[in-house]
Amino acid sequence: MTAQVELALNTLEAQLNQPLETALEACARCGLCAEACHYYRAQPSVEHIPAFRAEQLRSVYRYERDFLSRLFPFWTGAKKLDEKTLLHLTEIAFSQCTLCRRCTINCPLGVDTPLLMRAVRAMTTAAGTAPEILVMLADAAIEKGADPSFFKELFLEQIREIEEQLRNITGDPNATIPVEKQGARVLYVPLAGVHTILPPAIVFNAAKEDWTLSIFEAANYGVFLGDVNRAKQVAKRIVDEANRLGVQEIVIAECGHAYASYRWDVPNWFPGQFHFKVRSMIEVLADYLREGRIQVDPNFITEPVTYHDSCNLARNSGLIEEPRFVLKHIVKDFREMTPNKAEALCCGGGGGLVALAEYTERRIQAGRPKAEQIQKTGARLVVAACENCRLQIGDLNERYGLNVHITALTDLVVRAMRLPKPLPGTEAEHLFEGQKEMVELDPPAH
Amino acid sequence: MLIFQLIALLGFLAGLYGLYLRYAETRRRPLPPDRSPLKGNPTHGIVYAFTAGMMPWAKESTRLHGIAYLRGIGFHLGIFAALGAFLLSPFWGALPALLSWTLSGVIALGAILGAAGGVLRLVEHNLRGLSLPDDHFAVWLVSAWLALSAIALHGPGWLPAYYLLSAVTLAYIPLGKIRHCLYFFFSRIFFGRFFGRRGVFPHPKTTQ
Repeated sequence: MTAQVELALNTLEAQLNQPLETALEACARCGLCAEACHYYRAQPSVEHIPAFRAEQLRSVYRYERDFLSRLFPFWTGAKKLDEKTLLHLTEIAFSQCTLCRRCTINCPLGVDTPLLMRAVRAMTTAAGTAPEILVMLADAAIEKGADPSFFKELFLEQIREIEEQLRNITGDPNATIPVEKQGARVLYVPLAGVHTILPPAIVFNAAKEDWTLSIFEAANYGVFLGDVNRAKQVAKRIVDEANRLGVQEIVIAECGHAYASYRWDVPNWFPGQFHFKVRSMIEVLADYLREGRIQVDPNFITEPVTYHDSCNLARNSGLIEEPRFVLKHIVKDFREMTPNKAEALCCGGGGGLVALAEYTERRIQAGRPKAEQIQKTGARLVVAACENCRLQIGDLNERYGLNVHITALTDLVVRAMRLPKPLPGTEAEHLFEGQKEMVELDPPAH
Repeated sequence: MLIFQLIALLGFLAGLYGLYLRYAETRRRPLPPDRSPLKGNPTHGIVYAFTAGMMPWAKESTRLHGIAYLRGIGFHLGIFAALGAFLLSPFWGALPALLSWTLSGVIALGAILGAAGGVLRLVEHNLRGLSLPDDHFAVWLVSAWLALSAIALHGPGWLPAYYLLSAVTLAYIPLGKIRHCLYFFFSRIFFGRFFGRRGVFPHPKTTQ
């Protein structure tokens, strides 16, 4: 056994807990999960059935742990892990599964196949076969967290420029983008880009929120790697910042994996240190509208609009009605995709795939079912509350000629706020076009 | 007959003990704590996972493959009936005719549906691609056991064969894929807990 294989197997062993062992043991190979997967829908073949993908890990697990499989490996398809199998597992986990959990909700037994794919990602990261770009991005984020002074000055300079834009757009000379404001109620964590800072800043100022902007970005590449140690280090920057500033709440930008990790995983990683409420920007918008803290014109957006449920936000976090509540306040012609909400199809951009250039073609092919879904609504505007989804749908738009514009929910709300001064661009989808230059926060988000 | 009954009992106990070992092994594994604040209710999620969430209309997969799902349900109902019949086997002669014929009817239907599943594993492209020797063996073994159970309920001459096959089938449960009968419960509980605490299932009421 090579050191690489040994590392992978040790990582599998270290991860084995009740849910993982259950996912490894429960599958009856009935194949009912096939159509749940967008890869299978786009390209129906046995290899794209979630159960088949999971079986590649199960075969290794059985060889290591199952009595009958050790005696008669052919009987249960048990296989000794070697370098070739490890590379195959890497390919499957990083390019053929977006961890969307649509197979899980369609499985009669509820088998958590994405949990297995996460386990494989962790194994391959430990063994050094995971995509290098994800490792580099995670490590760069950790490094920046260790010494923020390295980029802080430039960051603050850029924020002052964005603040000027903010005052110009809102017509409010007192509008601010506070950074490192001690005792602020809310710490807003953006992504790397003006487009995730300026629109929320407009909303926070309009709502008279007591907020401060994080100097770090919400994206966490350690999560995509399935590497809890790296993911913890990336998250620690924000946990430390929130503790240092004494905020009560962390609001995450419109980003699926970042919200899911801060909402559900990070509290488990920092027991005793994590006392904050975590909300997505979507929830904040819904609450501001409910409380009347921001005013919107319900008749301003007249073009047909559809909403794409990000898997991390809807199926994996239950943020299902909140975006629809917001959209009902600002959109006249809202059209649901079918299926939607918890059953929504994955767009194909999740799980870090958008960052992996080597799998672009596969990703865009797997997004075809989503493209067809969008097309059927006849909508001209697609709202997606996740950066990866927006990037993927943008690519689908181009490839499949959807002729739609893609926008974040906050951008659309800002448009419906009918600010005193004209916003850049006349259409919501152009709202911040030309302003997507990167802010030097962390490594580029996507 | 006693010797055959004892062999069957040994098979049953071996299967039970094997399942217990599996259960104990899984329970020994850590259960990661979840300290994140609730959005929904994990208990409601677990109840949903075993009730409404099992209905054929609850999932797209079962809506698309309703017949396959109902075939599976029928097969498994037959298995539960056969297990019940096995435990009652020393008293079969004392069973009311209606109960005896109902039991054999449910079990026979299970056998037919199981065999249909076995054929599907051989001929249907996806199922053939997914199936391992263990899958083929398990479905035919259980289907044969169901068939023999249904026959033996009304043909005492088949009892020795029935008890021998019962021993093999029951002892095989923890060894091969049939052990998913144990992990089904773990899996649905984790499913319900996960989606319940996150407010995904049961479906939340629309907020207006």
